[in-house]
Order: sequence, then C-alpha cells, then structure tokens
Amino acid sequence: MKVGHQERRRMLANRYRTDFLFRICAVAMLLIGLGTLAVLLIDVLMDGAGKLSWSFLTSFPSRKPEQAGVLSPLVGTLYLMLLTAALALPVGVGAAVYLEEYSKQNWFSRIIEINIANLAGVPSIIYGLLGLELFVRAMKLERSLLAGSATMALLVLPIIIISAREALRAVPSSIREASLALGASQWQTVWNHVLPLAFPGILTGSILAFSRAIGEAAPLITIGALTYIAFLPDGLLAPFTVMPIQIFNWVSRPQRGFHEIAAAAILVLMAVLILMNALAVYLRQKYQKRINL
Amino acid sequence: MDTTSPTAFQIRDLNSWYGERQALSKISLSIPEHRITAIIGPSGCGKSTFIRCLNRINDLIPGFRVEGRVLFKDQDINDPAMDPIEIRYRIGMVFQKPNPFPKSIYDNIAYGPFLWGTKKGPPMDATVEESLKRAALWDEVKDKLHQSALALSGGQQQRLCIARALAVEPDVLLLDEPCSALDPIATARIEELLLELKKSYTIVIVTHNMQQAARVSDVTGFFLMGELIEFGETKQIFTNPKDRRTEDYITGRFG
Repeated sequence: MKVGHQERRRMLANRYRTDFLFRICAVAMLLIGLGTLAVLLIDVLMDGAGKLSWSFLTSFPSRKPEQAGVLSPLVGTLYLMLLTAALALPVGVGAAVYLEEYSKQNWFSRIIEINIANLAGVPSIIYGLLGLELFVRAMKLERSLLAGSATMALLVLPIIIISAREALRAVPSSIREASLALGASQWQTVWNHVLPLAFPGILTGSILAFSRAIGEAAPLITIGALTYIAFLPDGLLAPFTVMPIQIFNWVSRPQRGFHEIAAAAILVLMAVLILMNALAVYLRQKYQKRINL
Repeated sequence: MDTTSPTAFQIRDLNSWYGERQALSKISLSIPEHRITAIIGPSGCGKSTFIRCLNRINDLIPGFRVEGRVLFKDQDINDPAMDPIEIRYRIGMVFQKPNPFPKSIYDNIAYGPFLWGTKKGPPMDATVEESLKRAALWDEVKDKLHQSALALSGGQQQRLCIARALAVEPDVLLLDEPCSALDPIATARIEELLLELKKSYTIVIVTHNMQQAARVSDVTGFFLMGELIEFGETKQIFTNPKDRRTEDYITGRFG
C-alpha cells in the first residue's frame, strides 16, 4: 500500500508524540526512585552529619547520647562480615561447582535448583529462628560472633550459589574441552581454568549478597545478639553487636539525642557499604584485565 | 585400502545418540596408523560426533550415549575399565574454533606437560620450545612467550592449540574442522604442518572443505546423515567414487 506524503507526515507526528510521552514517563519513574533516595539521604545527613566525628567512631555506646559512639557495633559488623564470607564463600562456591560441573541434569538436580531459588526468598527472620535452634541451642554456640555469622552465612548462601552458578555457566565450554583434551581431570579443569575465569562474576554476586546481609538486624536479634556492648569481641565465641541493631536500638529510644546519633550511625553503615562495593568493583576490574589481556 | 600400514583405530558398529536423536548409525571403519584420515560430509552428518567418540570427549555432553566398539590398539576405549583421562592423554584433540586458555603462550603449552609431571624451569622450557617448533610457530612467538595467547591471530592461535596438543606427546591427533575459522593462508600453513606431523602421528581430520581432504589426506570417509557412505583411499574416493551419493557430494551436486 502506497502512503501519500501528507498521510505519512501525520502518522509520523503521532509516533513522535508517543515516543515523547514514553520518555517523559520513564524519566518520571527514574525521578521517583532517585528522589526517594535523595530525600532519605538528605534527611539522614541533616540529622546525623553534625554528630559524625572521630570520637563517634572510637567510642563505645553509652547511656548519654553525646558520649556514645559506634566502635563496638562497627567492629562487630566488620568481624561478622569477614566471618560470614569465610563460611559462606567456600560452601556456596563448592555447591555451585557441584551443581554446574559435576551433577547430572535430572529431576533431583532440578528439585535442588528450585529449592535454592526459593531459599533466596525466605524472610531473613526465618533464618534467625533456624540459627537460634541450630547454632545457639543445639550446637551450644550461645549468642556468639560465630553463631551470628553462621546464621548470616545461611542467609546469603542461596544468593551466592545462584550467582556463582551464573558465573560458572558463563565460562565457555571450549575452555573445559581444551583442558580435558590434554588429560586434565575434572577437578584440575575446574580449579585451573573454570574457577579463575568465573571469579570476577562470583565476586560480584557475593558482594551483593553481603551488602544485603550487612543491613540485616532481624536474624541477629532473633538469635539474641546484644544491643549494648561496651567491649570488642575477643574471639569467635564472644558476644557481639552490629550496626543495624545499634541503630534500631537508638531509634527506638524517646530522646532526640539518640535519634541524631542513629542517623550518624546510618551514615557510617552506608560508608562501609560503599567501601565494600568499591572494593568489589576494583577487584573485578583488576582481575578481568588479567584475563582479557 | 592401504594395507601397508597397521591399524590405529578399529571401529565396529558404532551407534550414538544425543538424547532420543540418533547421531551415528552402524559406523564401521579402520583408521590406519601414521596416515591422515579425512572425514568429510555436509553439516550435521555426524562427522564431528564421530571424531569426538574417539577420545571420549563426548562424555561431557548430557544425554550422550554410545554403543558399539571403538578399538584403539585393540583396547575398547568405551570399556568402563578404561580411564578417559588416560585415553585423552594418548589421543590429543584440536577443536573447530581455536580455544587457547586466556593465559600466556608459554603457559598454554606448559599446562599439559605440567599435568603429566614435567618439572618447571629448564625441562619445561625445552618442552615448550620443542612443541612450538613442531607446530611451526616457534619463530613467530619466541620473543613473546609470556604475552597473552589471545593476542595472536586466529591461525597462530590454532597452531598454538596444535602445539599444546603435541606437548603431551600423544599417539593420535584428532582435528575437528581446524581450519573452518581461518583464512586460506593460515589454512595452507596448517595443512603443511599436518603433512609434516603424519610422520610421527596418526591424524584424523574432520573437514567440510573437500579440497582440503583431497590435498592432505591418505584415506577419506564420507558421512551422510549419521551413516558412513563410503570409505577408502582418498585418490579413489575423489576420482572414482563407488557410491552415487559420494560422487554427488564431491562434485558439488548436493542440494
């Protein structure tokens, strides 16, 4: 069908109008998301920025808001994350390697797959209850750093497994064939070739998982992590507290002074989060360059 | 058939399946030692499947199943008692697309010998140099052994893969369309190399380039839809094919 010039102009004008409307909608959606975040940040900054100081980072929590600091929750959060990573990474990557490289595709592996995906969506408080029963009571770890990080490890494990599997799947099978054709065993192939190539992807996924865990308070409150600690954990079995719990505690107090230091603590927590993500990006870039060279 | 040469592979009634789909049916042939055997046929005829049955690299493919006998020096390689790792060590393979490891040229060659116990330092250096020389790549890369293999051209990468396969000193070299991603000059270099290598190795090459099969091979097998249509001396296959379908294929009359 031949369309005349006038007709074509009219149709095009309509299409450009739709195009324009759609663009306006997309920008509006973006502004809703970013705007909320900005309001949140500004609110927290206005409340808390004045309270940030070196002594805020190096003092223990206190009954007096003007003397209180975040030393023990900050150190607790860092220890907890390191320990969680140490527990969850080997288990998660190991499980992913088994599922991707070794297991046969059948109904059993599919059930495992569906279950892992489901576990990633289980509310964190459920993991807290599991940790309470399993680590705190059955294994008698009490309300220790170890029990806390074991619980957190359970929480992040499904996400690590899923992202590690994605990363392993992205390694071309020609690399596996090249290695096996030389007489490498499956383990040698995985260890020497597949894992190093998948590493940047595994790292990215894991850091995202830890970013989720670092803001979690619920499962740790469930296992009975303390809210007031005036000393640093001195071992795996020491009691501990973390930033979100401390913030939760301060926010729930009536005095205005505690609300301000809660805002300051939120800023500290966000700074830790940004540092973690920056580290992940840095490591990934560095590693990928080595592979692509 | 060439009767002067002993047999490397005896294949008897080989059938194979990917899941429900049969890929090879009733393949029987003998591959002579220290000769180049070419496998030709149109895409999807099972020639790659066939060559991949010779070193059990198909074990990796989920749902792959094989029946029949593949005797290598009178041992059935599909026998459960046979170790697939040992088989792949004795029967090297070069793939369709060059697949160097994303490592240095040196490390690419060194990986195989490292697996089989060659010590680092002078012994490894000697093995790497020897392998690269046999693959006619040494002169081009000797000054950049520690640069990434991915910086090489496609043809160089493929010769690197051949050198890597030779570094573990296999008895057989399987090549699955090794030149399909290469330009004619790189292809010519690889063909030259194969003619040189057949003095010491049994070579099986899959190709959909009939001129290549005619140029380099001593024996040729023609596959069509999972069946072996004709197998014999290359000269005879190309000048006086017995089967009508072989003739149609090599004269380009195939649809």
